[in-house]
Amino acid sequence: MSRKNQILTPVGAATGLFVLAALAVFCACISILGVKLGNAPVMPWEQLIPLGAYLAGVPLALVWLKLSGWKGDAGLVGAVFLLCGIGLAIQFRMGSFAQGLAKPSALMPFPLGLAAFVIGATLTGKGRGSWLAGAGWLAYLAALGVLAAMLLLGQRYRGGIYLPGNMNPSEIVKPLLVLFLAAYLSRRQKAFSETQNGIPVPPLHALLGLVLLWSVPMLLTIALKDLGLMVLLNAILIVMLFAIARSTGYLALGLAAVAAAGFGVRFISAHAQARFDVWLNPFADPTGKGWQILQALSAMYSGGLWGAGLGSGVPQSVPIVSSDFVYAAVAEEIGLIGCVLLLMVYAALFSRGFRAAGAARTPFERLLCVGLTGALGVQTILNVAGVTKALPMTGITLPLISHGGSSLITTLLVAGLIAGISDRK
Amino acid sequence: MLEHLMELLNGELGPDLLRAMKVIFLAFLTVAALAILFAPAVKPGKTSYGLLRVIFTASLAAMLCYQATWQLLGFTKPDFVKFMRRYNKRPNASEIQVTRGPLLDRRGMVLAAPVPGDMWGRRYPLGEAAVHPLGYYHSKYGITAVERVCDPTLSGYALDQRDEALGKAIFAQRASEGEAVTLTLDLRLQQKAYDLLEGRKGAVVVMRPRSGELLALVSSPGFDPLAPEAAIADEESTPAFNRAVQGRYPPGSTFKILIAGTAIDKGLAPVYSCPGMGYVAGPNTPPIRDSEYYAYARQGAAWPGWGRMNLKDAMAHSSNVYFAQLGIACGPDAFNDMMARARINAPLTYLKAAGGDLQCAGGNAPEVSKKRALALLSIGQGEVLVTPLHVACFTAAVAADGRMMRPRLSKKTPVAEESRLFSDATAAQLKLMLRDVVVRGTGKGANVPELAVCGKTGTAQAPGGDDHAWFTCFAPYRHPNIVVTVLIEHGGYGAKSALPVARELLVEADRLGYVRRAEEVHP
Repeated sequence: MSRKNQILTPVGAATGLFVLAALAVFCACISILGVKLGNAPVMPWEQLIPLGAYLAGVPLALVWLKLSGWKGDAGLVGAVFLLCGIGLAIQFRMGSFAQGLAKPSALMPFPLGLAAFVIGATLTGKGRGSWLAGAGWLAYLAALGVLAAMLLLGQRYRGGIYLPGNMNPSEIVKPLLVLFLAAYLSRRQKAFSETQNGIPVPPLHALLGLVLLWSVPMLLTIALKDLGLMVLLNAILIVMLFAIARSTGYLALGLAAVAAAGFGVRFISAHAQARFDVWLNPFADPTGKGWQILQALSAMYSGGLWGAGLGSGVPQSVPIVSSDFVYAAVAEEIGLIGCVLLLMVYAALFSRGFRAAGAARTPFERLLCVGLTGALGVQTILNVAGVTKALPMTGITLPLISHGGSSLITTLLVAGLIAGISDRK
Repeated sequence: MLEHLMELLNGELGPDLLRAMKVIFLAFLTVAALAILFAPAVKPGKTSYGLLRVIFTASLAAMLCYQATWQLLGFTKPDFVKFMRRYNKRPNASEIQVTRGPLLDRRGMVLAAPVPGDMWGRRYPLGEAAVHPLGYYHSKYGITAVERVCDPTLSGYALDQRDEALGKAIFAQRASEGEAVTLTLDLRLQQKAYDLLEGRKGAVVVMRPRSGELLALVSSPGFDPLAPEAAIADEESTPAFNRAVQGRYPPGSTFKILIAGTAIDKGLAPVYSCPGMGYVAGPNTPPIRDSEYYAYARQGAAWPGWGRMNLKDAMAHSSNVYFAQLGIACGPDAFNDMMARARINAPLTYLKAAGGDLQCAGGNAPEVSKKRALALLSIGQGEVLVTPLHVACFTAAVAADGRMMRPRLSKKTPVAEESRLFSDATAAQLKLMLRDVVVRGTGKGANVPELAVCGKTGTAQAPGGDDHAWFTCFAPYRHPNIVVTVLIEHGGYGAKSALPVARELLVEADRLGYVRRAEEVHP
């Protein structure tokens, strides 16, 4: 093992993985191009800019990692780049770049995301990450500021809230609150680790403090009616509490809370109630409320085991397929086999993220890494569960693959932070 | 180079190339994913959060298993299969798709047929002439009328007991076919009737009096069933509206058939004096007058009136003055009873199918107690409203010995009596009176001697324009085989605009063998 490590530096291994990823993405694009050219002989080559940026930009990022002496988890970085590549190919397939240079807002997120990745990796690399603990309160205030701004300026569109310019700044709230929680909880590790018979019993003042601080962003998300965000943030909180206390009691508590909240939320919001009902019985209103999920499932059924082939399916029949329901398009075109491979890569990413967290030096870094990885993991699970009807839809995007600039940039920043923490010296 | 690539893709090799690319992509994805799994990891620290890793990985695995129950085993869920049969129109999901069955007329001629290879494609040989009874089947505007209620049969998703067989068929990847639905319409009569309306707003109903079979059900103007959007948006001539079954109109003098029937049933056959100035039902009410009063007035003359008149003459000349008095003589109870028996307020069901029923709109026959209202209702004015289909049904009752048969559009529906409207004897007398209308009365224009037509004109005052024109008739007198009811909105005098349409249609129906039996044509 040590021998192999000497031959293959982490950056070298990551480069190897990127080459394999790029080959897979290249095949995907050839397949998509084939169908597109078969349908219409002319196509704007500008659509390929993001894929060019992928082939050119990722090596640049790897060079930067090499120069900065990064020695983190190569598999983690490889997984991030493979998922990004597949995401770009799918978005190319869905026509998200169809307007070419006329719509730079579709082309820019990936290059910006790569920059965010490099910045993230540099911020936390070489065990430098602990200084971020000082920014905990700042992050908390910034998160509240963003939520408040959305409440004041945001415009509702398809159940989500967007700031002018179609930005969805709620994405940045997640890493900001993770940073705050990591800083806050790591200083109170002892208090939150106290258990009796496996049931966590943190001292009252610590608990009250956390509840008070946490209730502010929760109230804001309720005011925003962004239930997906609320569910996600609470899941992250539970994962982080579990990580600090190492007590399964927090997980049990969390599950109970989720069940209670899921039941209770039906009485608060008609929107949530509708999603819940559709989940229970989509066939009650197949052409109305059940239409999207049933079309998504139909797309999957049509894909079968091997898929229709990239570019050869008809995922457009699923409403807003390129963002929340992108997984349905993926499942239709690369089949269940492809989905197994894809989720394997996600699982590897989370697994390596948690392992990197365990290896981190300071409790703060450990918690930060657990929180960030948990955020990506919970997001992935909630999205896939929603599209496959395992759980009600939460309106959460699939990290790195769904359409959406803010989401891609933030996710790559988070991935960069995790990759940096994995390099502990 | 691009051209070569294009040739390759569009040629025979195209699908094979794409399939090969699919396999190569999955192979590379597998290699990349495995490489990531086995890539060197960082040295584990104090903890490695094993439980979290297990939980997240297990959740994803569980989701994949659940996904497989849809993606691979979706055919085991009947609701899901039903949904996909209707709404999953993917060419690569052929195993759950069915070729939509055709709609056929009574002789097996095609009224609607599938287009091979196009899931939403539909061919309508009659086009706009039959769009109202048949409806349309459109990917964007949905499914209507017969196409809608027969959809389960046509598209084969009326599974019920066949679930298991279907599951097996899907497993064996065999596309099954929807069933054909045979209607009672005759496409030649449907087309002829539509043509005769010449785009005027109106409706035609042609039916068999003793079986209730609808031979033609026409509403005009029509529209192209393949492009319904303009018709749906057109609020001025409302072509999307099925006037024959949804349009509620004042029946005018056609209603006198029911009033005369009520009187005969009660044993009333009075002689009334019918003065030219009309009949006044009560204080402070305007007189009810005959149409001749207005015709004379237009020429500056005074109508002397019919004088003393019996029921037969009053029917022949369609005397409002007589029927207003007759209605009052019958009384509210007899009138209300007749309205109930004729089911004026009820929607008549004319097609029962797996996907629901098709009904005509219920009419309006208010419960009456006052003389004035009764007088007005007796001449088919006031608040009373009926659909053309309903007028055809009560006309058919006269032709069928007083039995009002349930109208039906499907051959499969059994013949059923909707209600007993008149006694045999009453029906016989009414028949004779309606024959008289055509021989010497207002319906003279319809007197095709060899067909022995019986009928009644109607001219109903309508807001916003000329009167609505009605003609409802049956033939031949001795053994009626066919009923024709024509309504033309704002068509003016019934005998002028509606009657010629009915007459032409009767002649055409006779040519097609629907009116006289063979031995009557060639004795």
